[in-house]
Amino acid sequence: MLYRVMDKSQLPALVRGFMESYEVVAPVKRGERYVFDTVDSPDQIALDYPQTASSAKKYLFPPVEAMMRFDARANLVQDFVQEVKPRVIFGAHACDISGFNRLDLALAQGKYTDPYYAARRAATLVVGISCMPTDTCFCQLMGADEVQFGYDLFLYDIGDKYLVSMSSVEATNILEACCEIAEATDDDRRAFRLATRRHQAAFNPDIPHVEDVPMLMDVFHFDPFWDELGGRCLSCSACASVCPTCYCFDIRDVLQEDSDAGVRERTWDACTSPDFALVAGGHNFRPTGRDRVRHRMYHKLNGFMVNHDRMLCTGCGRCVAACKADIDPIQVLRFFDEKGARDDR
Amino acid sequence: MGAFSMITDNPRPRPRVVVVGLASCFGCQLQITNSEPHLMELLDQIDLEYWQLVTSEDMPDAYDVAIIEGSVTTRESEDLVRRVREKAAHVMAIGACAVTGGVTGMAENALARRVGEVYGDAVPEACGQMIEPRPVDAVITVDSRVYCCPIDARDFATQLQRVLFGSNAVREERALCADCKRNENDCFFNQGELCMGLVTRAGCNARCVNRGRPCFGCAGLSSAANLDSTRQACERYGVPAARFDKALQMFSQVPLSQAGRQGDDEPVAGTAVGKGAR
Repeated sequence: MLYRVMDKSQLPALVRGFMESYEVVAPVKRGERYVFDTVDSPDQIALDYPQTASSAKKYLFPPVEAMMRFDARANLVQDFVQEVKPRVIFGAHACDISGFNRLDLALAQGKYTDPYYAARRAATLVVGISCMPTDTCFCQLMGADEVQFGYDLFLYDIGDKYLVSMSSVEATNILEACCEIAEATDDDRRAFRLATRRHQAAFNPDIPHVEDVPMLMDVFHFDPFWDELGGRCLSCSACASVCPTCYCFDIRDVLQEDSDAGVRERTWDACTSPDFALVAGGHNFRPTGRDRVRHRMYHKLNGFMVNHDRMLCTGCGRCVAACKADIDPIQVLRFFDEKGARDDR
Repeated sequence: MGAFSMITDNPRPRPRVVVVGLASCFGCQLQITNSEPHLMELLDQIDLEYWQLVTSEDMPDAYDVAIIEGSVTTRESEDLVRRVREKAAHVMAIGACAVTGGVTGMAENALARRVGEVYGDAVPEACGQMIEPRPVDAVITVDSRVYCCPIDARDFATQLQRVLFGSNAVREERALCADCKRNENDCFFNQGELCMGLVTRAGCNARCVNRGRPCFGCAGLSSAANLDSTRQACERYGVPAARFDKALQMFSQVPLSQAGRQGDDEPVAGTAVGKGAR
């Protein structure tokens, strides 16, 4: 990977450079939390954010989007014309970029491409930023603490400078045009190595590393743990709303008031919703909280692994904060960790 | 009628619609008028035969769709909704009072004492024969519902369209928080404040929280509401569970006490409600 260093004072120039031809979305502080939002000045960006409440997934896969329009007067069905805004997601952490890469596997690189997602992904540049883990971060356990692809630039904080990994011509051209960049010195390389060590050492040691989680989940599929964990589910799907990798959706037709025309929309859905697995005839394949929570955890920590060789969880910790019932992948890791300790006795 | 009938060569007669108001503030009927930019488009698709809010005339004898606002609080209104049910092919309950008993439902508990407190021994004749307030579906079968206090004009339009054209859309039963998280609102529980979104039926897009107010639960309890887990969650975030139980009374007093009566020996407040609560 090509890399250069740039002084931190250059950052506003880089942002303004992108603003000339892209909409820039970046972490901003709103109330007590951080969110990704459109910015019109580099000053609005809070690049040292611990974690945003929701992921930047919304820019690639919006909560609600039109798939087609229909007009009964003209007996017309019109495929939705993609009006994809060229955009830069500026300041994504490695976990979120890893999240995009995992979404790509499901939506852009599978047997069937999702044209809506693929168009947005193609029109979006990603600028990553290194981070320090919070208490609820466990990306290192999910293989998402570093990314080798899926971004255009990645800025590693090495003190007064950024070490910039350059991954696309488009973004590199803007970087070179707007900023003074230099070859890395030995001091820069040393600073980078120290920074990655500090990052590694900062993870919460109370979140256990468990070997073979997918297989353990198969082996303990009927453990009472799932009743306990799922039994307290509030059936709200807050977890899925903040998740960087949930990609399930529902489709609905919305008529305009005069009933002459309307739009077919898709909207985020989640396997934790009570009627997600309800089928014609009234049967619900996952009628209880236990069934639904277990299913969610299986898809995150087992099923996607089987098909794509990586977890569908990036360890970003957002669901840990969002769930008021204390249901999250960390609870699953703890369960297997404690079970292992008990069985050793 | 609209373009659908032009295409299908099957002109649909415009259904005859009546709008009936029971015990309520009439705010939901008012909300229908608040769909002002589209009100004429909506009215153009129906034959509005009677609208209690805007007329002193008597209700006609024949109609296809009855829209009922408000809760049933008297024997007289109980008879009225039964008569409506016999005549209408479709009965739509609109607003919290009609759907869950709503605010009026709070009087369900110890009605006689409350009537005594207000009127003493001299209950005016105009009160009718008072009974414990109850939602419309406690008396008759209801075919469709528009939730919240007050209803949302767009929700009402959507429901009316489903009556006009038919629909097999399943209404989501989940609790509200996913919408709130989608909108990236601050969570009131993180500030140690109670919010009823944890148990309230989704569908309003967290309208109140979007504007900085906690959810009061006006859409009613989700059929999957997990009351026990919610009480534990409240305590974990420094909100006494008793405050949650008290807040439930504002919009869910009637469903909770019905569940208590029908269920086993569990106390009312400890009883899970609805088919999805497990």
